[in-house]
Amino acid sequence: MSRHLTGRAAAPGVALAPAAVIRPPTVSDDGETGTPDEERARLDDALQRAAEQLEELAGHVNQELGADEAEIFEAHGAFAKDPELADRAHKAVVEGHSAAEAVTSAFESFRALLEASGSDYLAARAQDLDDVRDRVLALLSGGTLEVQAPSERSVIVAHELSPSQTATIPRAVIAALVTETGSPTSHAAILARSLGVPAVVGATGIVDLASDGVELAVDGHEGVLIVDPDDEQRDQVQQRLDEDARRREELESLRELPGATADGHRIELAANIGAEQDLADAVDAGAEGSGLVRTEFLYLDRAAAPDIDEQADFVSRVLRTFPDHRVVVRTLDVGADKPLPFVDREEEPNPALGLRGIRLSLARPSLFRDQLRALLAARADVGEQGGRLAIMFPLVSVPDELIEARRHLVEVAAEQDHDLHGLEIGVMVETPAAALAADRLASHCDFLSIGTNDLLQYLFAADRLLASVSELADACDPIVLRLLGDVAAAAHAHDAWVGVCGEAASDPTTAVALVGLGADELSMTRAALPEVKAALRGVTLTQCRDALSAALAQTDAEHARDVLASRPS
Amino acid sequence: MAEQVVQLPNPSGLHARPAKVFAEAAADMDAEVTVAKDGDEVNAASVLSVLTLDCHQGDEITIRAQGQGADEAVSALVELVEDGLGEQPA
Repeated sequence: MSRHLTGRAAAPGVALAPAAVIRPPTVSDDGETGTPDEERARLDDALQRAAEQLEELAGHVNQELGADEAEIFEAHGAFAKDPELADRAHKAVVEGHSAAEAVTSAFESFRALLEASGSDYLAARAQDLDDVRDRVLALLSGGTLEVQAPSERSVIVAHELSPSQTATIPRAVIAALVTETGSPTSHAAILARSLGVPAVVGATGIVDLASDGVELAVDGHEGVLIVDPDDEQRDQVQQRLDEDARRREELESLRELPGATADGHRIELAANIGAEQDLADAVDAGAEGSGLVRTEFLYLDRAAAPDIDEQADFVSRVLRTFPDHRVVVRTLDVGADKPLPFVDREEEPNPALGLRGIRLSLARPSLFRDQLRALLAARADVGEQGGRLAIMFPLVSVPDELIEARRHLVEVAAEQDHDLHGLEIGVMVETPAAALAADRLASHCDFLSIGTNDLLQYLFAADRLLASVSELADACDPIVLRLLGDVAAAAHAHDAWVGVCGEAASDPTTAVALVGLGADELSMTRAALPEVKAALRGVTLTQCRDALSAALAQTDAEHARDVLASRPS
Repeated sequence: MAEQVVQLPNPSGLHARPAKVFAEAAADMDAEVTVAKDGDEVNAASVLSVLTLDCHQGDEITIRAQGQGADEAVSALVELVEDGLGEQPA
């Protein structure tokens, strides 16, 4: 018989699939408590191994998903190494408790303190502590932390999904995520949204109601679950699934088609790549190469600079992923806000305006030249078997920086006897100075790619991560569209092509304006590709230009956006 | 013994990442270092203990050290906090 259960909607969409219940890690009680010295040795060993595993997991997640996602596991590793935690556990062991009991009580004492603080942030760290504790207990008992992930697409059901568990479930099998605890900002909910699958949290009782293989209907809009739905309920869910599927099919039918307007004006639609994991997703989304390959993840969270081979391997894989397209690799773009242990630098009061992007590369030429060596090595290695490499320099503000960067490239190429013919060089236009000097920059390179995120931030002097001011900066503001149009015209006058690789490119409404002002390529997060492609295939180039003209005549971003959104179709 | 009060500049307070930076630096010192807020004093080398102080931007924390290199430890840690503990200061 079907059972209804209501939780909190945490990620939109509907799903109908068998349940796969993820059980907490198994901890077998070994009964025997050794001498305090023995227990202390086991305890220290388990804590140390847990810390090592977590550091390894952080490294793995950094490679696969990026530095932000890895941060949590670095914190977990620090928790396992905490001297005060070990101290408390040692005291319990001396009093005759087993290593497992000592660990449990030591973690519990910190958990209570964090929860008592009344801070949401610290309460969430209390949950992180449980994750670390379970790992240590599993190591002590010889139990396992491995998630028994299902082999077919399933609704993943759990009391709570720890970050380390979610990181180990293969993404392809996740039809939906349902947890008993958690909030719309929990790890499970964030993961679901990034995967585009529904999620319901706070579904109290679901772990007991659902067992492996029982069908579950998940409504991520309303937060409703139906366990073992009857025919009528299945039909209703199926109908909504069909509607979703039709839309996806419409978009899917465009997958193999090139990016173009309705009248056949070609726009390359590429994907931004920031980690290994993005490659397969980008291909799935039908990306025509990449207009922005970020290389920072190769450098962050490590003690020593990545060697040339490691960097070249990654770039080779990207080139082989897109054999028929262009791959624009951006050289290292970090500032003082992300200090690298192997780069000696001054602290800065204002990293956004400091030694970052190409400025850092030119100030630390050995680091920069190693990266260029790796890029050329990958290009030589892949040859005709891979896509066309292009190199882009970030945060250029004066032409001399571009000329200097080129000089390094030419010297490194000579060293390696590498023929630079056919290798495109470009500038990421992110500073107002670069945008205004577009004609001078374009005369020294093959393309300009507009990084709208930073350009908007510097243009409006508004931090886009700061909610109180971020709304000031809108890519659809007529002054922005006018400036971008000038950049495109200057580039074209020098036979350079123009791309846009900021978030503006991923918004179908803004994309129409960007095509109208002359963009030849748009590079975006892969999830946005199908919708942008569909939007552009629904308008002619003339309509894009007309929509742009109408937007340029408006007095502010809101009106310009309205005009663009109501374009004729 | 050495002791100094410092104001926390980090916009998001002493959350996990800066707390880790602070605790690791404190653990590297020869001296025994504690950190206190509102009368609660904890082991500065313990990231969990530091977190439990629930420090926010602008909070005043007291760094104390005892033993060899106490003065140097306090001034180094104060400087680290003032510089934002690896984050961009406000």
